[in-house]
Amino acid sequence: MPLERDMEMEFKEQGFRDWSPGLSSRDQLTQAAFVGALGGFRSLVASVYHLKAHNSFVKKNWGEVERYRTVTASLQPKFWSYWDLAVWDMAWNAYGYYRGEAEEYSDDFKGWHIENIIMPTYLQKGIDYAKRGLEWLPDDYRLLKVIADIYDQKMGNAEKAAEWYLKASRKPEAPPHVYRAYAHQLTLCAGREKEAYRVTEDLYRNSGDLTLTLLRDLERLEDDIARRAARDMTYEQLRDAALAEDAGYLEMASFAGYLLEVRKDFSAAVDIYEKVAGHSQAPTFYRRKLAFLMADHPKKAVEAYQMLKTLALSDPAALRREDMSRIAQLESRLGIAKQKRIRP
Amino acid sequence: MANSSTPAVQIEGLTKVFRLPFKQEKVVAVDGLSLQVDAGEVYGLIGPNGSGKSTTMKVLLGLISPSAGKASIFGLDSGDTASRGSVGFLPENPYFYKYLTGSETLAFYGKLCGLSRKQIRERSDELLEMVDLTGARDRRLGGYSKGMLQRIGLAQALVGDPRLVVLDEPTAGVDPAGSRKIRDLVLELKRRGITVILSSHLLEQVQEVCDEVGIIFNGRLVREGKLNDLIAIEDQSEIVLQNATPQLLERIAEMVEGEEGAQLLRCGNPRTTLERLFLQEIKEGSKQGGEDA
Amino acid sequence: MDQQAQDIAISGKHRVFSLLRIWAISRNTFTQLVRMKVFYFMLIFSALIIGANLLFLSFTFEQELKILKDVSFGAMSLFASIFAIVGTALLIPKDLEDRTLYTILTKPVPRIEYLIGKLLGILLLIAVSILLMSLLFFAVLYIRQHGILAEKIASIPRQVSEADIESFRESIFSRGLQPELLLGVVAVFLKAAVAAAVALFVSTFASSTLFTIIVSLVIYFIGHAQALALDFYFAKGEMHSAGQRFFAGLIGVVFPNFQLFNVADGLTAGEVISTSLMARLVGLTAFYLTIYSLVSWLVFAKKEL
Repeated sequence: MPLERDMEMEFKEQGFRDWSPGLSSRDQLTQAAFVGALGGFRSLVASVYHLKAHNSFVKKNWGEVERYRTVTASLQPKFWSYWDLAVWDMAWNAYGYYRGEAEEYSDDFKGWHIENIIMPTYLQKGIDYAKRGLEWLPDDYRLLKVIADIYDQKMGNAEKAAEWYLKASRKPEAPPHVYRAYAHQLTLCAGREKEAYRVTEDLYRNSGDLTLTLLRDLERLEDDIARRAARDMTYEQLRDAALAEDAGYLEMASFAGYLLEVRKDFSAAVDIYEKVAGHSQAPTFYRRKLAFLMADHPKKAVEAYQMLKTLALSDPAALRREDMSRIAQLESRLGIAKQKRIRP
Repeated sequence: MANSSTPAVQIEGLTKVFRLPFKQEKVVAVDGLSLQVDAGEVYGLIGPNGSGKSTTMKVLLGLISPSAGKASIFGLDSGDTASRGSVGFLPENPYFYKYLTGSETLAFYGKLCGLSRKQIRERSDELLEMVDLTGARDRRLGGYSKGMLQRIGLAQALVGDPRLVVLDEPTAGVDPAGSRKIRDLVLELKRRGITVILSSHLLEQVQEVCDEVGIIFNGRLVREGKLNDLIAIEDQSEIVLQNATPQLLERIAEMVEGEEGAQLLRCGNPRTTLERLFLQEIKEGSKQGGEDA
Repeated sequence: MDQQAQDIAISGKHRVFSLLRIWAISRNTFTQLVRMKVFYFMLIFSALIIGANLLFLSFTFEQELKILKDVSFGAMSLFASIFAIVGTALLIPKDLEDRTLYTILTKPVPRIEYLIGKLLGILLLIAVSILLMSLLFFAVLYIRQHGILAEKIASIPRQVSEADIESFRESIFSRGLQPELLLGVVAVFLKAAVAAAVALFVSTFASSTLFTIIVSLVIYFIGHAQALALDFYFAKGEMHSAGQRFFAGLIGVVFPNFQLFNVADGLTAGEVISTSLMARLVGLTAFYLTIYSLVSWLVFAKKEL
């Protein structure tokens, strides 16, 4: 009937009810489930298969898990969670299970086979599920993100991870941490340090949420830039850049690094680092750097301790976990009374 | 507006042919039947099973449409829903909604007749009293006996205060006491001036209550008339005695023998003469039917 | 003729169409079904929903709420459709078998009124059962979403801020008891109503309850698959000749596209349905009810009882 066809089309345009049992799922449904799915109980049948998949997961029967996940997801392809679960079961649960197996047979050919053939297959299955889900839900950042997660957590492929995190971050509903994950992956890509620094610095300046990862990444990237500058430039070039009227803290830090590493001129380096730490644009981790630099120098130890104490109170995130033992050493060296010591 | 001269029921040249599904055969259930029932009469339609009684009634009540001819109730054609405004019907072996109680059943049918709530209450009380079911009014019909069902059926037929009541085999399957009760009710209706058509194959019943009788056989009305006319045999007389001793009967027999031309045909306990008549008509009817073919 | 009878004859003018009579038949149908103890099904429904609750162990709240909704909507749709088809199939053939129909149609009741009355009675039953089921469903959903929120808060070892609680509430409740679910409930009713109209039509020419049920179920299932089949034959809605269009139209009328009514499937997956689409679904239902009632009447008016 024309009216019905119209409505059907509109349903499809709205992305609603657009479903026909694809061959893949039809073959894997029992007859009863197929009739049920056709008879208007699609969502219920999907739930039942979801439970079956869960049972198979408990039994660690990964072939069954895969079969049931395919059925569930193709019965209700617009429900992102079904795709996400399929990805999770493949790339985390099955993968993790086989990693255990591979360790058990690490000396055998079997172990090699599992590690080099089976495990990558499950990662790929996970990625494939997410991509099929994206055909139905092209705007779902979560499915994009889960692909990036696999590249990041399972494959250690920062290039790919960065690419997918970036795609995910561009979706309207993506929370800010997805973009930060992109930035972090970028810092791990060899040869893309400049791009990484641009993104990370922009995040540092403009996003309200300064996470530890972001701060560490920024510090690492800036160290890297300073080291690169110290290697590529002459003393004069570095000095002129650092002492110029409108010199940025990064130029100063590069010069200070040069003084410290190449010239081994400790006090000159400290002088410049003091300027860096006092620079309005400079991140607080320069103050930490300066403080620990001075702490190793007997004459400056007291001053260094004061700086650390201020930092611990005003910006504890600038300090790292391993700093605590160094601070404790410093405190005992200086004979600081127990009750006056810095507490994390 | 029907006046008292309009017959309660008029059936003219009624023919009903049924086609058997998936077969070429046709069955003629009623064949050119005409009859008339005057207002206030009790009319008995008798005939063996399958003779066309029920079909005739169904046409009259608009449940099926005639192949030819027509039927009307108080001048209104049977095909017209309005004609059923003045008729009450009790089908053979009726089943009602067994989840309803007696009074709910009457209320339901009362509403179908367009009665107001107040009218329904009054009619129900009156009818339940009349059919002697006042004590069972709040019991569900599922628990009623066959006789009670028949009586609630009759009450249901009467709830719209009809001028014509059609009863199809009203005593079928009812025990003798229940049967008598129904006979009394029919007589009560007659007393109230309500026209009654009843069909039966139990002749005794018809004989007891009917003014006029029609005999149907093979879809045709083979005989019709006042009951008395039909069963009276002109050259025969009947004496019915009570507490007659064998000696008395012997003396009567002797007296008859002494009389010129007179003859004692039989002596015994009285029997239904109508039944005899009926059997005779059937015999003739089948002879005729055979000749027609 | 006595005075009383004449009064009736004068005062009791026959009305050609009477809503009161239809209402009497509907109410009677409803009462009959209720007294057949059909509402015991609520026990099964409750058991299903509570049973579904027990399956939730080790799932995320999103999945848990989805399964609850799936099971509830599935059961609602199942019961509503069963009532629609079996209920309707039980009534008219049974009236005919028991000759109860004679007593009704020999009252001044037009046959269309009888049909409409029966259909409305069934719809009333379906509506009341869906109402009861959705009340229970919504109550369980409400209790569960609050339970989940409480569990979530309790599972966090540190002090939970107001803002955190608010965001948990937001994310849990948005997958819980939402007004859109009502659209799903309405769609379940509309679908059952069409199924009842189909069964009504079948029962006007069927001779037995079993036949009515089987034929109606066949139509019901074909109706679910018809869009698929048409897609298959006409390659995604492209129909060329007038003959093909006629054929598709015919299929569409004889077998209502029941898939259109499966709004709940999308709702439980978090999809959104527009009001205009919903309004047209109501219109489509009205269309089917009218068509099927009329065709039923055409058959039934001529039926030899």
